[in-house]
Amino acid sequence: MALYLYLQFPALQPDSLGCTAAQQLPVAVVNEQHCIVQLNTVAEQQGIALNMALGTAAALCHNLQLLPYQTQLQLNILQSVARQLYQVTADIALDPPDGLYIRLCNMLQLYQGLAGYWQALKHELQLLPYRYYYACGTSPFAAKCLARQQLNLLSGEPDVLASALNHSPLRFTELDTDSQQQLQRLGINTLGQLLALSQAELARRFDSSLLSYLGRLRGSFYHALHYIKPEHSFSRYVELLYDITDTAVLSMPLHSLLLQLEQQLQRINAACHQLQLGLLFRGMPAYQLSIGSAQGEYRAANWLKLCQLQLEKLKLTEPVSGLQLEVTAFVLQQSQSDDLFQPAPSAVSALQLVSLLQARLGYHSVSGLILQNQHLPEHASQRPLPLLAGKAAVAALALRPAFLLAKPERLTEAVEINHGPERLCPNGWVLEAQRDYFIGRNSKGQWLWLYRTAQQQWFVQGIFS
Amino acid sequence: MSALLEQLTRRQLLWHANSQHTAYQAVPSGYAELDQQLAGGFPATGLIDIQTDTGIGELRLLLPYLQQQQSGGRLLVFLSPLAEPCADMLCAAGIVLSQLVIITPKTGKDALWAAEQCLQSGCCASVLLWQVPLKQAQARRLQLAAEQGAASLILLRRPQQGLSLPVNLSIKLQAHRQGVLLSVQKRKGGWPAAPFLVDMQNRWPGLCFSTEQHWQARRKAS
Repeated sequence: MALYLYLQFPALQPDSLGCTAAQQLPVAVVNEQHCIVQLNTVAEQQGIALNMALGTAAALCHNLQLLPYQTQLQLNILQSVARQLYQVTADIALDPPDGLYIRLCNMLQLYQGLAGYWQALKHELQLLPYRYYYACGTSPFAAKCLARQQLNLLSGEPDVLASALNHSPLRFTELDTDSQQQLQRLGINTLGQLLALSQAELARRFDSSLLSYLGRLRGSFYHALHYIKPEHSFSRYVELLYDITDTAVLSMPLHSLLLQLEQQLQRINAACHQLQLGLLFRGMPAYQLSIGSAQGEYRAANWLKLCQLQLEKLKLTEPVSGLQLEVTAFVLQQSQSDDLFQPAPSAVSALQLVSLLQARLGYHSVSGLILQNQHLPEHASQRPLPLLAGKAAVAALALRPAFLLAKPERLTEAVEINHGPERLCPNGWVLEAQRDYFIGRNSKGQWLWLYRTAQQQWFVQGIFS
Repeated sequence: MSALLEQLTRRQLLWHANSQHTAYQAVPSGYAELDQQLAGGFPATGLIDIQTDTGIGELRLLLPYLQQQQSGGRLLVFLSPLAEPCADMLCAAGIVLSQLVIITPKTGKDALWAAEQCLQSGCCASVLLWQVPLKQAQARRLQLAAEQGAASLILLRRPQQGLSLPVNLSIKLQAHRQGVLLSVQKRKGGWPAAPFLVDMQNRWPGLCFSTEQHWQARRKAS
């Protein structure tokens, strides 16, 4: 027997405001018709009800906090809930704006019955801040109809479900208001009365949409549901309740986002190398920060540290109104094996250290050093990204200075020559550009690497240290 | 009597004159005369203060030590070096370039932060810090970080007067034709020593005037 579960979330937007201050204030969501569509519990206690006009609500409660209804935000939250639940149940379909269809029948064997299944699902739902209503049904529409009545009915018995469905008033069905009015004029008030009528009679008096609805409600027509598939990416947006100008305060909402990322990464045993953090402003285009970790990291605490280092450097010209966190690619977690006899238990690996330094000092301030097979000294050393192994085959020349000056300087003092000349020519053997290199010591005792050009001019290019 | 001694020792109230060589673990410096003076070599961990002019052989003095420090597979960090480090010379001295990280911070504050992070991490064996002014409290903080990560921090700075820093070893270098003239100013568990010559003629013949060369005519370039 097919069995479906419908979850309805009556107040996704108010519940998604994470901070505790928001939970103590009455918050309501208003649609474009100035009608209240979502409420938090505090607002409910103040006497505000759904579908109340804005004026009435404002008169009832002086400190009512209003949020505009946002379709996209609603959908995003719903998707994030579905992704969360995907960890325990397989077939989930979205029913925008506020519902989820879940196919139960093929999960019952795994959880050994409805009770075990519900326990697992409930545990997952309790981690989320959203209130919900639920009901089972033999078809998706039946479950939806029962859940909309806030029955919280959980049963696999067809008789129980059928009787509950028969008592359902018509306003909880998917029928349009015209059909509902028509049926009410005929004296049909509950779904049971409607289902008792013969289909041929209904087909004569009503249009096909009623029949197709009833067919899908009974389960005799096929109801196509678009089940979600997990993505290997992470994208969350959090709207801040008040604008934040201090980057230190920003780390609080950021941490909760990173914890969500950690949860998702930990479940699939993955890590990520790069985060895209978007700071959204009211009057300016969003500012994008990209935060990298060379090792690949999943822990929220470590990511937060890296983010904070980048945020510290940032000067906010305008308060931040929202945070967007995106990760486009996941990688497999690699466990590193440490040396058992290492003198210091290194809490940080070399790659982690490099990421940390790069986050604070800038990407280009941290580099490695490799030796190239070049005869000109300025080309022989290169500064690539750190911790890269260069070509091992290159033979090093021993008598080279430890430091090369960025630009050769003219020699202005007397030096004592100890070694040389060594003639080097740039590519193409341009004779005018050839240089004769000497090693000399000046009066202060510094060992310098000098060259004489073909024009008999002397320059200092390096310092032996 | 012995019971009293034992009790005092246990409470760490008694100091034995023969326990001084355990002040730090020494790593051979590669120069025999220096090892003898420093009772084994440079400290493996903690701060090493080197007061020196640039370019007189201070890095050459340290290279064998750095190479040994690095041999455990840990990193070597150059923090705010004076100019572009040259791969040829370091590679020839046996430094593994893939274990070398060069950091060029923009301010002294950033340099000290980076030094502390590197020392604390436990994945760096030695950090060389060039010409960053250091206060006593900062030096103490770096010393603690170095002990935590079992790393050594080598401060290379110009000869200067002032309060001595809490370091494991403080030496002063002066230029010399056959190497460097080294004087130990302060050593944990040891005494300061008079200046002596660290002879580099064997290791770096190209960068020393040999004694026979004295009489040779000096070629001057200007």
